[in-house]
Amino acid sequence: MGVSLRDEYPDQMRLSFQEELDRLEANLQEESELILRSLRGAINALEQQDAELADEVIAFDDEVDARYLEITKGIEQLLARQTPVAVDLRLVLAVLHINLGLERMADLCVTISKLTKLSADLKPDDTLVEAFEEMGARAEEMIRVAMKSFSERELEGAESLVDLDELIDRANRRVVKHVFELGNDPAVREWGLRMIIVSRCLERIGDHAVDIGEQTAYLVTGEFREFTDASHPEGVAGE
Amino acid sequence: MSVTMAGVNVDVTTQARPLPAKEFREVVFDVKDLGVSYSGNQALQDVSLEIYRNFVTAFIGPSGCGKSTFIRCFNHMNDLIPSAKVEGTILYHGEDMYGPEVDAVEVRKRIGMVFQKPNPFPKSIYDNVAFGPRVLGMTDGLDERVERALQQSALWDEAKDRLKSSALSLSGGQQQRLCIARCLAVEPEVILMDEPASALDPIATTRIEDLMHELKKDYTIVVVTHNMQQAARVADMTAFFSVNRGEEGQRTGILVEYDATSKIFTQPSDKRTEDYVTGRFG
Repeated sequence: MGVSLRDEYPDQMRLSFQEELDRLEANLQEESELILRSLRGAINALEQQDAELADEVIAFDDEVDARYLEITKGIEQLLARQTPVAVDLRLVLAVLHINLGLERMADLCVTISKLTKLSADLKPDDTLVEAFEEMGARAEEMIRVAMKSFSERELEGAESLVDLDELIDRANRRVVKHVFELGNDPAVREWGLRMIIVSRCLERIGDHAVDIGEQTAYLVTGEFREFTDASHPEGVAGE
Repeated sequence: MSVTMAGVNVDVTTQARPLPAKEFREVVFDVKDLGVSYSGNQALQDVSLEIYRNFVTAFIGPSGCGKSTFIRCFNHMNDLIPSAKVEGTILYHGEDMYGPEVDAVEVRKRIGMVFQKPNPFPKSIYDNVAFGPRVLGMTDGLDERVERALQQSALWDEAKDRLKSSALSLSGGQQQRLCIARCLAVEPEVILMDEPASALDPIATTRIEDLMHELKKDYTIVVVTHNMQQAARVADMTAFFSVNRGEEGQRTGILVEYDATSKIFTQPSDKRTEDYVTGRFG
């Protein structure tokens, strides 16, 4: 085969474009760090019924939003001025999707924190608190795996998110089942009902992490592909 | 693609219409193992591809990759260079274009060409368009023929009141459309364009690109362009050519990748294509 263009023209061109792409991706990784902080805060506030910490998580969302906006503007500029194609185009589109997914994760953390505040005077149930600790840890792990496999363009890591998501989904189903069995104390029941939504939020964070994995697969292979198909579950991996 | 939702068929196609499948494409040129050398220096080698009817096919690649040499093979333009030697085969509707009894003049009637710089004759607008038909004896209904060619090249409205004026009084973009009209007037099947817009401003360029889009309904268009975004905008198929450097530094053009334009610009198969279209190397 022929000599590669890289040999023929050793000086790489479009350095400023490459720098912009690198900056965009670094910004996205930083955004994911913010989400991890937000999630950790939301889970801690929930466990300790700490309304003050919950308020901090809610206020912290502004920082995430600012980062989200910055990335969106960066993408707008790149599309307008650099006309990315091929792998660059796929990278920019993937960052666009992941940025949105991360921002939604932060919104879910806000929802959890609002529910924590509403439930501050209610009676928590120890089993559920433990379940949320587990779900929160799994969600954190999923975000880390998703962002690492994206940064390393690693398909296997991205695809492993489906199995991790199955664990968080199972935990969600256990929570719902447990709430049904909470008994007759109205304060516990109200707390439990609110906690179904918390559980759902954590489960959704897992789904967004899977979406990030799908964007990694698109970036690497060029094929749009859903890892799991919710409307045709018979063919789903892990079922 | 359509899906049924609540009993209603909903069209969910959001992408541009895909290219027809290969079995539904009509092959105009079938190029096999084509090579061109000038005085023994190999300028292009081992090119094999098919050009399809009513497609716009773009050739892109760095300078010296042989793309202009290649397009000139389709209407025997390289015959005009004494030292040029063409090897391999080009079948035009199954007939060997470089066979012994092929008449280059007849070929150029079927396969017109437009060049980088507009090159109208220093004659009136009318005479420029009528030139080809007159030479070929196609003089019946000449006025209608001239009008039709100017209509097709989107120049009629601007030129109809000044047909007797000199072609040189037209702007650069208009002159290029006149050259396209001159090409269309002899009713070719294929139009070859070698950098047709590189000497034009952005607005004139857009008009030429719109015209290519319009003309492909009736013609097959092959275009060489340095402007990758132009290829991305106008072409159905794109061929990427590059340069191989031999042991003694001699440069030979090669075909690296030939595929649907959408594929070349989103997911090229060859690393060298990706390096080129992303503008990183080459």
